[in-house]
Amino acid sequence: MPASPRAEAAVRARRFWPWLLLAPGLLWLLGLYLLPLLGLVPLSLSEPLSRFGLETVFRGRLATYLEVLQAYGPILWRSFGYAASATAIGLLLAYPLAFAIRFRGGRWQPLLIGLVVLPSLTSYLVRAIAWTSLLGDNGPVLALLQSLDLTAAFNGLGLLRDGRLLNTPTAVILGLLTNQLPFLVLPLVLAMERIQPCLLEAAADLHAGAWRRFTQVVWPLSRPGLAAGILLGLIPAAGDVVNPLFLGGPNERMVANTIDNLLLVQLQAPRAAALTLVLMALVTLAVLLQLRGRGLDGLPLP
Amino acid sequence: MPAQLPLPSSQSGRRLFLQRLAATAAGAVLAPTLLQACKGSGSGNGNGSGELVMSTFPLYIDPDAPGAPGSVSRFRRDTGIQLRYLEDINDTRQFFARIRPQLAAGRPLVQDLMVLPSWMAQRLIGLGWLEPLPLAQVPNIRNLVPYLANPPWDPQQRYSLPWQSGIAGIAYNIKATGRELARIDDLFDPALRGRVSALLEMRDTMGLLLLADGQDISQPTWAAAQPSFARLEQARKDGQIRRFTGNDYQNDLLAGNLAACIGWSGDVAQLVLEQPDLRFVVPESGGVLWSDVMLMPKGAQHRREAAAWMNWVYEPVEAARIAAAVQYISPVVGVRQQLAKDPATAALAANELMFPDGAMQQRLHSFGPLSESEEARWEERFASITEG
Repeated sequence: MPASPRAEAAVRARRFWPWLLLAPGLLWLLGLYLLPLLGLVPLSLSEPLSRFGLETVFRGRLATYLEVLQAYGPILWRSFGYAASATAIGLLLAYPLAFAIRFRGGRWQPLLIGLVVLPSLTSYLVRAIAWTSLLGDNGPVLALLQSLDLTAAFNGLGLLRDGRLLNTPTAVILGLLTNQLPFLVLPLVLAMERIQPCLLEAAADLHAGAWRRFTQVVWPLSRPGLAAGILLGLIPAAGDVVNPLFLGGPNERMVANTIDNLLLVQLQAPRAAALTLVLMALVTLAVLLQLRGRGLDGLPLP
Repeated sequence: MPAQLPLPSSQSGRRLFLQRLAATAAGAVLAPTLLQACKGSGSGNGNGSGELVMSTFPLYIDPDAPGAPGSVSRFRRDTGIQLRYLEDINDTRQFFARIRPQLAAGRPLVQDLMVLPSWMAQRLIGLGWLEPLPLAQVPNIRNLVPYLANPPWDPQQRYSLPWQSGIAGIAYNIKATGRELARIDDLFDPALRGRVSALLEMRDTMGLLLLADGQDISQPTWAAAQPSFARLEQARKDGQIRRFTGNDYQNDLLAGNLAACIGWSGDVAQLVLEQPDLRFVVPESGGVLWSDVMLMPKGAQHRREAAAWMNWVYEPVEAARIAAAVQYISPVVGVRQQLAKDPATAALAANELMFPDGAMQQRLHSFGPLSESEEARWEERFASITEG
């Protein structure tokens, strides 16, 4: 039976509506993200016209990428190394925390989640400055380590450098870790929320002990939460600018500091653009590896 | 009536510390956004408000204190001119990046006056981005100390008028070092590893290292600077140098994170009020004498008001109040006599870091000019060290 014109119009409208609803977001992404990002491509292949300007002329100069990789390759590695360390340690902390909130939180669950999120309500800048007082040479953290006679041991482990904590890799990773902890905990709690209690009851009925229930039910079903956490934690950490600036020293600079300095202090826009694109490419690669074709559908993103 | 100069107190010291912390934070908030170039006071299309706008470094003037209005308030009261005094220059090169787009496009800034180091003044003069100062309306220019008049980069004193000068040298905490420091080599003592900082201001850090290597910094050359660059780079890699800093070394000195650093004379004089164990010394091999100057960007509209301000701060009484607060080298003749008159500030009149005598002047050296291509090379090399 041929569809009536009215039904056809309804179908057309149904197709049209989602696009209309998506339009503001898409336009936003296109205008403020995609176009500026694409604009970086010709900029990265250009040469500066003068030393005191950001004006450039397009020369198709690919050598900039080589120079950037040579000069700042170690800083890129360092950035991903710090971000990965912070995420790994963060997950070790976040997993038991999320487990406790989900399975032992009871009626306190909303309050506990609130407490996890609470530090994020302070500016990340204020947090970093607060850390400088806590981790300083005369600060309470070192005083505690000294009173416990742990300074030498921590020095030996490479966690302290010459007995100090501020302006070391440890301090930067600690700063990154505190920034991303809520982003690691929340997806894990969400993933664990999706675990039906009846599954655990069934496992118990089948004589699975607590450990087996965890390894065979909770762990596999909470893994999407880990994947989401890595996605939400690792990427912002790799591009962090404030923690290395305040908690690190010149040997702990991360790639965002370098881009900032190249663009705003050294006025080398093509190099800054090339380094930004390399960073974006590496981040995209990390995301693709992380998803490995699974798509975002299964991830418990908050 | 003799001028009543405000005596710095430890209370004002604590306030300064908080202000410094806020200034550091403000600088850091702006930088990571990567939008600084299009943000804030650099983006104005001129300033037709009738208000005189001035950009300068933080804590470079006597602030308002209870019962004792600071220079900005007194200038407003004395002249009726509205002055917007912006302490928004955290790092000279970042500020340059901020004002550059407007000046390059021939558009006026919101600022009528800017206080910047002489090397930046030289660059701006070369680029043709400055207005000649209305010095005909500044009779007090006669009070300018002769040795600062007509510098080689502004031989007829058309574009610049000194604000303050100072000395880059060694600042240290005697309790933390356990001994007096006198030489640049002391900063490289392994006993101080990780508790030393150097300045991001290239001419100050490199100037001191070059002097320690026996070089003449009035005529710096690339070849002669290589050992100093190598030494600095090695010290950074070894962890001897904890940080490269702008004004923010002050927080680390007070917090006890630094035992010694390259610092500026006036800063340390102010910090001693809070931390009596701090010392400032001009190294045996010599200190770097620098000068910050007032400049008028191209297209500035408030020439009359700017002239009134420059004339006002070149009154010895007013200049003495500023000098007593900031403790740098005042460019105004008669400041020493003003300070000596008041028992509260008489000690400052004898301070050789504020009023260098002949012997001290012999030990101070100014960093000479670098050609544009040389400067590019130097800055790139220096950044490769400071930015890891």
